[in-house]
Amino acid sequence: MVKAKGGFTGKTLRVNLTTGKITAEDTLAKYGDFLGGTGIGYKVLWDEVPIGTRAFDEANKIVFGVGPLAGTGAPCNSRTAITTIWPVCYPDTYVASGHMGGHFAAELKFAGWDSIIIEGKAPHPVWLCIEDDKVELKDARRLWGSGVYRTTAEINAEMGPEAQVAAIGPAGENMVPNAVVITGYSHSAGGVGGVMGSKNLKAIGVRGTGSVKIAADKKEWKKLIQYSLTLIGSNNQHVVPSTPQPWAEYHWPGSRWTASKGVFWGAANPPVETGTCDPHDMHSIGLRCHKGAKDFGNDFGEKHTVRMGGCHACPIRCHAQIEYAPVEEKYGYSKYAANTCMGWYSPRQVFHEFPGPDGDLKASEAMVLGSHIVNDLGVWDNYALMQKVFNYAATHGMLEKILPEDEYKSIPWELWENGDPEFLLDFYRRIAYKEGVLGKDLGDSTLKTMKKWGIPDDFYKKFKWKYWKMGHPYHHSVESSGQVGALINMQYNRDSQNHSFQNFIQNGLPIDVQKKLAAEVWGSPDAIDAPKNYTPMNKYKALAAKWASIKKELHDSLSLCNWMYPWVASPLKERGYRGDTSLEAKYFSLATGIEVTEEELDLYAERIFNLHRALTIMQMNTRDMRNEHDTAPDWLYEEGPEPFTPGSQRFPREDIEKAKDLFYEVCGWNKEGLPTRETLERLGLKDVADRLEKANLLG
Amino acid sequence: MKDEKKTGAVESIVEFFNVNKPTSRRGFLKLSAATAVAIYGANILADGNDKVEAKSVFILEDAKGVLVSDPSRCVGCRRCELACTEYNDGKSCPTISRIKVARNLNYGPQGTQFGFKRGHGKYGDFLIIQDMCKQCPHPVPCATACPNDAIEVKGPVNARVVNTEKCVGCKICQRACPWDMMSFDEEIGKATKCTLCDGKPQCVEACPTGSLRYVPWRDLTKNYRPRQAGMMAVTDDCKTCH
Repeated sequence: MVKAKGGFTGKTLRVNLTTGKITAEDTLAKYGDFLGGTGIGYKVLWDEVPIGTRAFDEANKIVFGVGPLAGTGAPCNSRTAITTIWPVCYPDTYVASGHMGGHFAAELKFAGWDSIIIEGKAPHPVWLCIEDDKVELKDARRLWGSGVYRTTAEINAEMGPEAQVAAIGPAGENMVPNAVVITGYSHSAGGVGGVMGSKNLKAIGVRGTGSVKIAADKKEWKKLIQYSLTLIGSNNQHVVPSTPQPWAEYHWPGSRWTASKGVFWGAANPPVETGTCDPHDMHSIGLRCHKGAKDFGNDFGEKHTVRMGGCHACPIRCHAQIEYAPVEEKYGYSKYAANTCMGWYSPRQVFHEFPGPDGDLKASEAMVLGSHIVNDLGVWDNYALMQKVFNYAATHGMLEKILPEDEYKSIPWELWENGDPEFLLDFYRRIAYKEGVLGKDLGDSTLKTMKKWGIPDDFYKKFKWKYWKMGHPYHHSVESSGQVGALINMQYNRDSQNHSFQNFIQNGLPIDVQKKLAAEVWGSPDAIDAPKNYTPMNKYKALAAKWASIKKELHDSLSLCNWMYPWVASPLKERGYRGDTSLEAKYFSLATGIEVTEEELDLYAERIFNLHRALTIMQMNTRDMRNEHDTAPDWLYEEGPEPFTPGSQRFPREDIEKAKDLFYEVCGWNKEGLPTRETLERLGLKDVADRLEKANLLG
Repeated sequence: MKDEKKTGAVESIVEFFNVNKPTSRRGFLKLSAATAVAIYGANILADGNDKVEAKSVFILEDAKGVLVSDPSRCVGCRRCELACTEYNDGKSCPTISRIKVARNLNYGPQGTQFGFKRGHGKYGDFLIIQDMCKQCPHPVPCATACPNDAIEVKGPVNARVVNTEKCVGCKICQRACPWDMMSFDEEIGKATKCTLCDGKPQCVEACPTGSLRYVPWRDLTKNYRPRQAGMMAVTDDCKTCH
């Protein structure tokens, strides 16, 4: 890559925990072709970590990957992609990333660093202190054992309140595979906490006083940012409101554009009314997404929401900031809790019911309390698959047989039966500290536990238990996106963190409008179906799935949020609801001074996507990716009404096999799902092709 | 001093302190010794020295506008800081942002000194407090402290602005502001502060929740709690009047 005039800081930090050696590398010279984020993560693993390395081996590395747009005013940035050999997947540990938001990535850029590569293992617990170009490993023995909250506060006391801290809790220290890294109170990166723990790395604190340069003229930059803000929707780029609004042609109850007259942040002092939020009003963008009302329901959510929070530079606020006094009075946690989506839902899903007239309130209390517990102990939920497995085993009477008698009796089952949130204190403590069989198994790789516990086929045959493959759940699969969602969910070694297509298909526009936009982006209106009204596979769906995969890597590498981008649609009727999928290339060009078109920038992302594929192939050591990796659960083929009838999300096996054929074809992979030499060389990955060929794994 | 024949010393002083009708856009006045003496009062007049000698008196005119905020609407996205520095300086640099949110984001203005979850901010009660320049009335602490008179009033809205030609980067102004609103751009070696963007503040324009507003100036110095013990400067000029 040519020299950048902005965006990148130009320096990547490498920290060897074994030797204590700290070095700076030239970002563009070494990693420029991979942008940053997941790109640099895959590159480091490919070049430096021997195939066969397992997640908790000292030879594993962990890359805090940040990209050129983090820290700039490009809306919705500051994502950190943490890439490593992932401890949760099955049958072995393969490459994957956890992604966290907050302000960490931006602060790292202000400190003058593009990314951090961590290698080795410290002889005793340490934390990494980054104050601009002063980088030190500090003794963390006094922090070891502390929760994330205390650790963060102590590091802030030392570095100053502005520092951004990413820390693990006891779960990470104890090398629980289902452990997180937490930054900014409520932003977590799943599955990577245990890897930090295995390296004796308790936390990273960053304080940056420098700048991220913008290569372009400031007026030109402002014009682009202002243009992009006219196209932004609500969370997940939902472009219609959830309720009828005076300005809106359409509304859709599932939308995360939940603002309305009469809908308040009720715990603000005084309460703040979210209002009608006309998309032309640039001063109410931040009010559009009332996630408190969305996640908790309007009754509890409005009453207890202080405000909405989220990441650096993002005007769409998706983290609800809740005030709920009973959590402080009863359990000693702060009455102020913050989280979003699964951070709230997964603790609730530990319970199978909340009986009694106060059931709803107990459910909400479980969400608030549970959020605190998992954030402080640093436990991950594997997108709630962990809770589903526990629930299945508990409701099917399996645990009585699986657990030793004294352990079974020590579990406060009465609290669980009653839907009493207090149960969560016991439940998550066991996991974080690997207590007994239950704690150790639930924190472990989920599929390993499912096999050990003998979870029957029944589990895999029902959509409601969420299972997809390789120990992870589905995450926006066929239930919303048909074959496109199925293909996307096959690609990764964890739940698919890919919202490129989901953002569009769930944006709330009527299907005819969506089809018109789909035709412009993917070549045909047949690229999409209305959810649960599916048609047989076609090549445009394959193109959409490839596009979604590439855009996901693009965002994770630039440090833009894939929960917001890309913007196929906008809320603007006068534009025919068109968005602009070239925004990322425009930001990149102006910020870095490296002029690229959308197609050119997508090539970087396609390179990154293929490097992830190559890494997975090498790690699995199989030519049969089609049947060993790109698989789908039984429920997809067996559950529900006849395929291709309204309401059905069932697919014939041959249709899904055809989907793979077409997807592999548009990706330039062979029938086994292996990238060909031609494809890899087109992407500048000749060395990757050579290595795959040597291992007899080239397509 | 052309008006001196028409108006007496007392009238000059009245006009001089009339905040709504500043007498000089350049921000300081040339007063005759007689006028200056009159400010002190009759006991000094008794010295009988009324020889006319022009003298600078450092009194900045009031600003025409000021930024105010509603912290209950602030969501901590920092788009105001980005707008301030990207659109004015061509770089993203919260350290020199003239609106300051990052420093209060995590723990509020008190930092970690009272422990976790007891203050404001993300780790406290979620209230995020934006710090803005008060565009102080006379005596303007940063301007008074500057040994090079580099902080001047600038039209069209009379913001107190750093003249980078005069600023030598001594950072004394940073210690002078009780609200810690002076910034220092290490990359150019100059102090920097809020200019009100000539009446169209970028931060206000960028705020996605309408938390920030640009309003007619009023004196905010009396009821906003200081962030630091400002190093109050008293210059020789001050002694002319006080």
